[in-house]
Amino acid sequence: MLKVTNLRKVFDRIIAVDSVSLEVKRGEVFGLLGPNGAGKTTTIRMILNIIQPDSGTVTFNGLPFREETWNIVGFLPEERGLYRKSKLINTILYFATLKGMSERAAKPVAMKWLERFSLVDSAHRKVEELSKGNQQKVQFIISILHRPQLLILDEPFSGLDPVNQILLKDILLELRQQNTAIIFSTHQMDQAEKLSDSICLINKGRVVVEGSVADVKKRYGKNSVHLEYEGDGSFLGALPYVRRADVYQNYAELELSDMSQTRDLLTGLDGKLSLRKFEIVEPSLHSIFLNVVGTPGSAAAQPRKATA
Amino acid sequence: MNKKLAVAKWEFMEKIKTKAFLISLILTPIIMVAFGVLPSLLAMKPDESSVVIGIIDESRAIATSLAQKVDEKYRLPDGQPNYMIRELFDGTSADELKTLGNRMIANDEIEGYFYIPATVFDSGMVEYRAENVGNFRTQERFSRTIEEIVIEWRAKKEGYDPLLLRRLMANIDVRSIKVTGEGEEKESGFLETFFSAYVIIMMLMFLVLTSGQLLIRSVVEEKSNRLIEVLISSCSARDLMVGKIIGLSGLGIVQVTLWAVIAFVISAKFNASIFQLDIFLIALIYFFLGYLLYAAIFVAAGSPATTEQEAQQLTGYVTLLLVFPIVLAMPVMQNPDSTLVKVLSFIPVLTPAFMVMRMPIQMPELWEFLATIALLIVSVLGMMWVAGKIFRTAILVYGKRPTISELIRWLRAA
Repeated sequence: MLKVTNLRKVFDRIIAVDSVSLEVKRGEVFGLLGPNGAGKTTTIRMILNIIQPDSGTVTFNGLPFREETWNIVGFLPEERGLYRKSKLINTILYFATLKGMSERAAKPVAMKWLERFSLVDSAHRKVEELSKGNQQKVQFIISILHRPQLLILDEPFSGLDPVNQILLKDILLELRQQNTAIIFSTHQMDQAEKLSDSICLINKGRVVVEGSVADVKKRYGKNSVHLEYEGDGSFLGALPYVRRADVYQNYAELELSDMSQTRDLLTGLDGKLSLRKFEIVEPSLHSIFLNVVGTPGSAAAQPRKATA
Repeated sequence: MNKKLAVAKWEFMEKIKTKAFLISLILTPIIMVAFGVLPSLLAMKPDESSVVIGIIDESRAIATSLAQKVDEKYRLPDGQPNYMIRELFDGTSADELKTLGNRMIANDEIEGYFYIPATVFDSGMVEYRAENVGNFRTQERFSRTIEEIVIEWRAKKEGYDPLLLRRLMANIDVRSIKVTGEGEEKESGFLETFFSAYVIIMMLMFLVLTSGQLLIRSVVEEKSNRLIEVLISSCSARDLMVGKIIGLSGLGIVQVTLWAVIAFVISAKFNASIFQLDIFLIALIYFFLGYLLYAAIFVAAGSPATTEQEAQQLTGYVTLLLVFPIVLAMPVMQNPDSTLVKVLSFIPVLTPAFMVMRMPIQMPELWEFLATIALLIVSVLGMMWVAGKIFRTAILVYGKRPTISELIRWLRAA
């Protein structure tokens, strides 16, 4: 469906996106991950033809962006907003007509979605009378009403309560079933891990990790240990064979430099913590993310300058 | 084309329903009528009952004929005399009489009084005292009548016949008759020429202001709620811009048409024929082209704005451009054929206003029409191109306002 090749964009000598390539098939959920300012939004904007890349190509079903492409993509931007003074249903229908639908065809579909999101009673109310979360649902409806082949969602889950997060997740999986290609960006790694078929992790404008979730995890190997315990775990990060430690109150995720050292770890803990659980697992996307992106202040977290 | 129309329809339908639009639609003509017509209507309103005016006539030669003349000339609508003259002079000193007169004013016995000193025929000085000295009508009527009497008296003294003198001094009435290009005569008052040009320019101004401001507002709104990103992932920036211009122009046209109808009804009531058809049709061409030019300027100037205040400021500058020709209207009307006016007619932002103003007064030559229209079309196309470029980039600029050099870079960008 979507094929992005060697995309590059420079703003004021800062390289926002550099040789980004990715491919999304229909019926696939694609997680676009990365820290703030990594270049996710810029990449999305170039895919949607909102801004022009300095170099690289974007094709849809093998063709470059054309007049018709506008009608087969749907987009939910990260920062939300609607026409505050307009009626819900009118707003939805306006965007449907911009996507090439007739109002007559769009209306029943709009009502169906409003019903699904329990907003049917508000159809003729003004947007400003709705809560933020409900406005976000309206924007989501706008992005999917015309049944796009490619749906791009920038941080779709932020701002939704748990009930609506589940509703949104269910709908995304339905759309996937109906052969929609879905790209979504997020900071919530557990979300991405549960939903995505493939992921792409961008940092400082470059793709650092990509592939199917299973592949990525396999590539990063089984070098993670999850602990549940009682006691003070603050010493864990200082152990010699622990490469990185993510320590919470009664829980810790450790990454070892070598898996053969699990035995050393276990003996090292003896007498210091009362263990409830000791588990050798695949790394979570979360830990892969931290691994690749680095901790705040580390060299990996500084923006790169273009040497032009 | 479909998407342009969808944008146009949305902008038109959503804005026409707003209270702000309805208020401006109704309130503006009311305010304009109130400002333009009410004061003169009030000033022209006749008195409802006779007004008593006192006279202290030390010269002993004026009061009687003044009373007679005023009685002849000024009547109330019901036929009663407008003014009652009360002679206050009784031989006592002027100071005592003035004290008396002032007391009578305070007691509402008289509206006011004229003090005519004995020396009036030499000095020509007369005093008027009243509670309300702002009543120009009474003052003007009496002073003119007293002047007549004084002049007659002086003439008689010098041995002239007052009647002869009045005939000699009769006013000249100028009837202005316009000679058209074909040499035909056509009676035309100043009002007619004045209005036909002025009304069209004022309409252009209102149309541009209404639509231009709405356009900038809607762009600023879409920038601040980020809907702009959804919009331009649904249609091209050009479709969006053109759609907005069409929709909001429709709104402006509704407004201006309604006002034009009101103006037409009022003018028909006063029997003033405002429009001549041929002029009107040519004016429409200038109107249309001028509108497109200003709309493009509005887009170019306004789309980089990121806040309502900035938008207001930018609109302010463009408004100055619009007001400029109206400030120059008077000199143009007095001298439509001067070289300066001809040259200024070729500056695109001034062309519509200047040509429309010149036409009813003195038809410009054919080559001037063709040249200015051609130049205007070229500048409309050029300005639209510039506006489109700026719009394309500016709609994605949120944070700070772009600098001039950035704007130039946008123009160069593909």
